[in-house]
Amino acid sequence: MGTYLLGWVPIGALLVFVALTQHWGLLEALVLAVPMCVGGAFLFLSSWYLCRALPLSSARFTSHWLAWIIAAVIMSTLWAWSALLLAWILGHTSFFPGLFSRAHAALPTLMGMGIILYLATLTLHYLLDAVERGKGAEAREAEFRILAQDAELRALRAQLNPHFLFNSLNSISALTTIDPAKARTMCILLSDFLRGSLRLGEKRLVSLAEEVELLKAYLSIEQIRFGSRLQVAWEIDPAAAGEEIPALLLQPLVENAIKHGIAGLTEGGVVRVAARREGHALEIRVENPVDEDTPVVHGLGLGLRQVRSRLQMRFGDRMKFEAGVVDGVHRVQMVFPAQNSEAKP
Amino acid sequence: MSDKTYTAIIVDDEDLARAIVQEHLGAHPEIQVVASCANGFEAVKAAGEFKPDLLFLDIQMPKLTGFEVLELLDPQPTVVFITAYDQHALKAFEVHAVDYLLKPFNAERFEEALVRAKARCDQGSPSGPQPAELSDAARSDWPLDRLVVKDGTKVTLIPLAKLDYVQAQDDYVLLKTPEKSHLKQQTISSLETRLDPNRFLRIHRSFIIQLDRLNRLEQTPSESWVAVLADGTRLPVSKSGYARLKTVLEKGSV
Repeated sequence: MGTYLLGWVPIGALLVFVALTQHWGLLEALVLAVPMCVGGAFLFLSSWYLCRALPLSSARFTSHWLAWIIAAVIMSTLWAWSALLLAWILGHTSFFPGLFSRAHAALPTLMGMGIILYLATLTLHYLLDAVERGKGAEAREAEFRILAQDAELRALRAQLNPHFLFNSLNSISALTTIDPAKARTMCILLSDFLRGSLRLGEKRLVSLAEEVELLKAYLSIEQIRFGSRLQVAWEIDPAAAGEEIPALLLQPLVENAIKHGIAGLTEGGVVRVAARREGHALEIRVENPVDEDTPVVHGLGLGLRQVRSRLQMRFGDRMKFEAGVVDGVHRVQMVFPAQNSEAKP
Repeated sequence: MSDKTYTAIIVDDEDLARAIVQEHLGAHPEIQVVASCANGFEAVKAAGEFKPDLLFLDIQMPKLTGFEVLELLDPQPTVVFITAYDQHALKAFEVHAVDYLLKPFNAERFEEALVRAKARCDQGSPSGPQPAELSDAARSDWPLDRLVVKDGTKVTLIPLAKLDYVQAQDDYVLLKTPEKSHLKQQTISSLETRLDPNRFLRIHRSFIIQLDRLNRLEQTPSESWVAVLADGTRLPVSKSGYARLKTVLEKGSV
């Protein structure tokens, strides 16, 4: 806005200069040019509405031209005649005799300048609008890209680990003769898990409680497979259960805990899932024991990298993600802003 | 069918998976299950004790994979792999497995595998591959990250990070770690092909060293070279070994 008003200073100077060439007195020129500039600045701002009403993207240029010209003529007439009115009033004072007749003579020039100025302001608005739209489009594109990547990662997560499925079916196959009731239980748990992961896979955000439900179904199945080798410890702070987290964020971590932890241990161990509110942040931990004989893999595996990049896309540097083995326990720890405490856009 | 009997061991880390094999075998009195093992260590021990005809073997297990178990067995039993993973099938047949069952499987498929396995046993031919051949084929996941060794009935896993150097001893290799030396039945050349050349280098017909253990090179009065390791061990370096070392060290120093 400030720059816009500043833009009128050279226009005012031009008005004064033109007046001086027509043998006006400097004071006469100034006393008319300054109010005209201020008035014009506000009057011609109205071209912004025209710019909005007739966006360039709609291709009916001929009718646009007409509207622009008519508006320019009306506005410049209004502007020039207000100037004349001012000159008439000032002419009645003893300071500016003859101002009215001079202004009257300059009326066609003022009209012409008014049209040109109006059209210039209009062009400026169209330009600014285009820049704004460009920025908006960029931001939208960036957002779409994040959404697309997130959707892709979620789709990957929702894809079932086939070996989990085959091993579970093999367990069911064994149970059908050994313990038919348990076979049925396992079928139902497996259905719950499949249905849950499909449902969560369609969402971007879910409550921590919903995600935990899915993890519970998954781990119950694995407990039937691994028997006493798999124990599960839940440490979910009730204050954190209602928070929203990216859907299927924890599922791959728990799968890893089984695949790279429990499955490699003859005696098994405890998978620990902990979550708590930490001020405005949510802290989540997944821990599992690992076999010390298995060579430590350096860097993050694919599953962990995906989890980290999902958090990074969403929270940027407002999140922390750490993973590593300490004293035979693999721990993934992440901290990110709690969603419910943030004003939603 | 003859009234010949066969001994078998079932190896799987999941109770239910073992139970289903046991159940299918229940219809076959000629098969005598002598052991049921929940991990690779147990399997190696039981196989050493019972020398079974048949092995029903899972692949993904704690401690030792199915392939590593086979690598340690002598004599080689007839093997039927049972796994949820289809990507190991090729490897399985490279180690002369008689069949490869995918979980879950039905009774007919199991019978088919059993018929084949019994036929293989009846041939009585030592159809199993030699241990060295096994280790070449068994884990094509190159380069290796660990070695498995059996001392008597004890199985040891040696992470490669612990290996200082390897010394050839006829058909065996001596694996030298800071704590201990282990003998493994394998030729040094077959082991060399499975090690990461960026970490291990053959400095002599009889020696492979882990490169980061190398402290310095010294020249003897007779103009030949000696590699001095961090722990002070002195190993001979052959002419071609010296050339290889020079290339690697120059590349590393740039």
